[in-house]
Amino acid sequence: MGKVTFTVNGSVSTIDVEPRTLLADALRDELGLTGTHIGCDTSQCGCCTVRMNGSAVKSCTLLAVQAEGSQIDTIEGLSAAQTSGNAAAQVPDNSDAQAKRLHPVQQAFSTCHALQCGFCTPGMIMAAVELLDQNPDPGDAEIREGLSGNLCRCTGYVNIENAVKEAAAMMRSERVAAGTPAGGTAIDRELPSRGSR
Amino acid sequence: MGFSRHEDKRLITGGGKFSADWNLPGQLHAYMVRSLHAHAKVLSVDTTAALAMEGVVAVLTAADVTAARMTTMPSGPDLKGIDDVGINKGPMPILAIDRVRFVGQPIAMVIGESANLARDASEQVHVTYEELPVAASVASALAEDAPQLHPNVPGNVSLQFESGDAAATAAAFASAAKTTSLTIKSQRLYGAPLEPRALVVDHDRARGVTVVRTPTQGMLGMRASLAALTGLGVDDLEIVAQDVGGSFGLRGGPAPEHALLVLAARRFGKPIKWVSNRSELFTAELHGRALTLKGEIALDAENRITAIRFEDTVDLGAYNCYFGGFIGTNNLAVTMGGAYRVPALYMTSNLVLTNQSPVSAYRGAGRPDIAFAIERLVEHAASEFDFDPVEFRKLNFVPADAFPYTTANGTVYDCGDFHTVLDKALTLADYKNFSIRRKQSEANGKLRGIGIGYYVEKSGAGGAPKDEVSCRFNADGTLTLFAVSGPSGQGHETAYAQIVGEGLGIKPSLINYVAGDPGRALVGNGTGGSRSLYGTGSAFKNLVQEIIKKAQPLAAQALHVEPGDVVFAGGRFLGRNGAKGIDLMELAERQAQLHDAAEDHPINCSAETVTGANFPNGCHIAEVEIDRDTGDTEVVKYSAVDELGNVLSPVLVRGQVHGGVVQGIGQALLEEMIYDDTGQLLSGSFMDYAMPRAGALINVQSDTHSVPTELNELGSKGVGESGCSGSLPCVSNAMMSALRSGGFGPMDMPYSPHRVWQHLQK
Repeated sequence: MGKVTFTVNGSVSTIDVEPRTLLADALRDELGLTGTHIGCDTSQCGCCTVRMNGSAVKSCTLLAVQAEGSQIDTIEGLSAAQTSGNAAAQVPDNSDAQAKRLHPVQQAFSTCHALQCGFCTPGMIMAAVELLDQNPDPGDAEIREGLSGNLCRCTGYVNIENAVKEAAAMMRSERVAAGTPAGGTAIDRELPSRGSR
Repeated sequence: MGFSRHEDKRLITGGGKFSADWNLPGQLHAYMVRSLHAHAKVLSVDTTAALAMEGVVAVLTAADVTAARMTTMPSGPDLKGIDDVGINKGPMPILAIDRVRFVGQPIAMVIGESANLARDASEQVHVTYEELPVAASVASALAEDAPQLHPNVPGNVSLQFESGDAAATAAAFASAAKTTSLTIKSQRLYGAPLEPRALVVDHDRARGVTVVRTPTQGMLGMRASLAALTGLGVDDLEIVAQDVGGSFGLRGGPAPEHALLVLAARRFGKPIKWVSNRSELFTAELHGRALTLKGEIALDAENRITAIRFEDTVDLGAYNCYFGGFIGTNNLAVTMGGAYRVPALYMTSNLVLTNQSPVSAYRGAGRPDIAFAIERLVEHAASEFDFDPVEFRKLNFVPADAFPYTTANGTVYDCGDFHTVLDKALTLADYKNFSIRRKQSEANGKLRGIGIGYYVEKSGAGGAPKDEVSCRFNADGTLTLFAVSGPSGQGHETAYAQIVGEGLGIKPSLINYVAGDPGRALVGNGTGGSRSLYGTGSAFKNLVQEIIKKAQPLAAQALHVEPGDVVFAGGRFLGRNGAKGIDLMELAERQAQLHDAAEDHPINCSAETVTGANFPNGCHIAEVEIDRDTGDTEVVKYSAVDELGNVLSPVLVRGQVHGGVVQGIGQALLEEMIYDDTGQLLSGSFMDYAMPRAGALINVQSDTHSVPTELNELGSKGVGESGCSGSLPCVSNAMMSALRSGGFGPMDMPYSPHRVWQHLQK
């Protein structure tokens, strides 16, 4: 057993892991963040996509120990991280009265019916968030390239592509309203590993 | 904007609960030992070294299964074939006893205190095999010197099935003006729901119930099959599934691991968890399709179809499992005339056992395959005899005034309007200007083709005698709906709330849906055969009337008028004079205050419906482009008009169509389970088995046309499987059209770059 200390969704955690423990398993089993899903064992499906120091990685492709000292963002932290913005919407009305705001990508996935069973959705959303961070106005080909590391078996992808466009438009208008330039997050972009895409 | 499914919030925030997300205190973990060989005697299973490892609790083998008096996996219906000869079945044992018949067949289950430990210990389970000759394909299973897979299945042929009138069909062919034939293959696929099979089971001693958390399509089907498999009573088992990550026909009933975890949880008195990995699922989950259909068509002098005959070969895999036998027989036969008025129909089907993973239902379960075969055959005839494919279809369609129409082999299509749907699709596809688009593609060095697929499918009749639903009015002013149809992405929670919400004039957001509550003892069908909306949904439509009926006297009381003087409109009960009124939900809240338990609420009620199959149909038109240099093939334009009766939610319907179409495109262009001659699977991961990715379906237009059915209360037809049934034939016909334009002959699916490039070199 070894120890890993990292910041997950803004909170510092130290956990015991075996050297072979995958980041995906550590997030799910040690921290209870079961929104990160595991859909394959060859790094193909992208269900386990999280952000590490601001970049999308497949957490089944990283050992937990490789995340030492890093900032990890999972789907659970995405809505909590949204504290302002015109386009960020309230959680739909069947919510448990939490004041969490949805990220525009989350919102757009729902309004564009970009999810059915929802198993690929967290990874797909995290990949899309990364894509829009890098490219606030992606074209069709860029969206497809940006999502090429994620599999969905239900939706046929058409609505997922629409959701990314919708979210991009929401985020652009949000930035215009706030007067901030695109892509300017404070997160360090240095990466120990990108995972496979 | 504004659309949002009830189930979305939890799923987009990471709050969904899939089976592997469950963890119970003190849980044990399991790992499977599977066969490395396609066909071998199992001489011994040595568990000594594994059991000696610290933290290993047990290794279950066939002896444990036998001692627990468990039976074999469900082997499907007892079909009758030619001359009334019954099916010979090779049922699959839960754990291999003395022989394995496919790579990946379960041999033992290791149980340990952690998942890693169980996995490590599995490598210390030593299985001694004696390899046997392998029948790795239908051809080798039917060869004269083929190994005999099961002692009671001579020649490896499980059943020879027939449907229709052989003599009438032969006579039609004998007197035909023109005939032609075509053999098509619907290759073996892996359905690949993205949530891997997972189980968390514990035995609740206080209640005497074993609770099984697992992905499923229907609680009752899963529970009944698991009870039969384990020898327990249905009341001894409880199935829990909140979120299910796709099913597509693979999750109707238990797998071997379900039985083993029930056994272990009860024996060891501890919760136990098993989460599969994708690599093992490629062999351990039931495969789909694996059909070869040889079709023949006979025409008279006026080019009217006088007969269609099919000679089908079905690869069942190593064992008869679940619906495997049903797919290549009834599900092919029932619509074997497609959308056409064909006076004589006949088919035979040879069900063959091979040393590959067993085959059962995958989205459509024979429906896409027969639609594919008919529409390829019709297009082939049009091409061969130089007919306009549109006019040839129209000449032979069952006309709108001929419904209800009984096919030559006895299926009754209740309603439809094939001409109108085809015309609508041609317009949507801008069919008349295709030649301009082809010229543009040719200028870019690409072959372009267009293809029509007109499918008619029989949606699921359902195995349960009826679909029952019920409801509970809660003290907080919400309404909970209950049924047994388990969702796996279709949007049950949204659709059922919409039906009841619109019927009662209340906000759907106040309504939630619970599937399979064991306390309810409801009867009904699981999700399958595209029937959840028109079956369970129709029962919910009836529930609306029941609720109004039960609430009416209470409303009259509240309004101080006679019950006969109360009318319900727009969510409100009004007195006859209209002066006073009360909202249903206000009435419900008032009543809730008078009763301690929500279960005692006087407006709680139940409803049901009895409805069988109906006949969704539609016309899909695809255009493909082939890059001559690389063989890369792309579906560049796609138009679908589906005739689904009444459409309740166009957004959900479009979602189903998109998803189904892309699964069909996946089969057409990419996917194939490939075994080598020794029965080893060569396409055993997502790195080898090509799944459609973003961009698989571009430039798509999806529309509907409605001819409401009278077979259910909603007037709706099934939609879940139609996308596959439409896309397989139209993409394939487009492919043949493109190949023909370059002077190339037809080819089989998948139209992957490698295979297409090789074809272009011929």
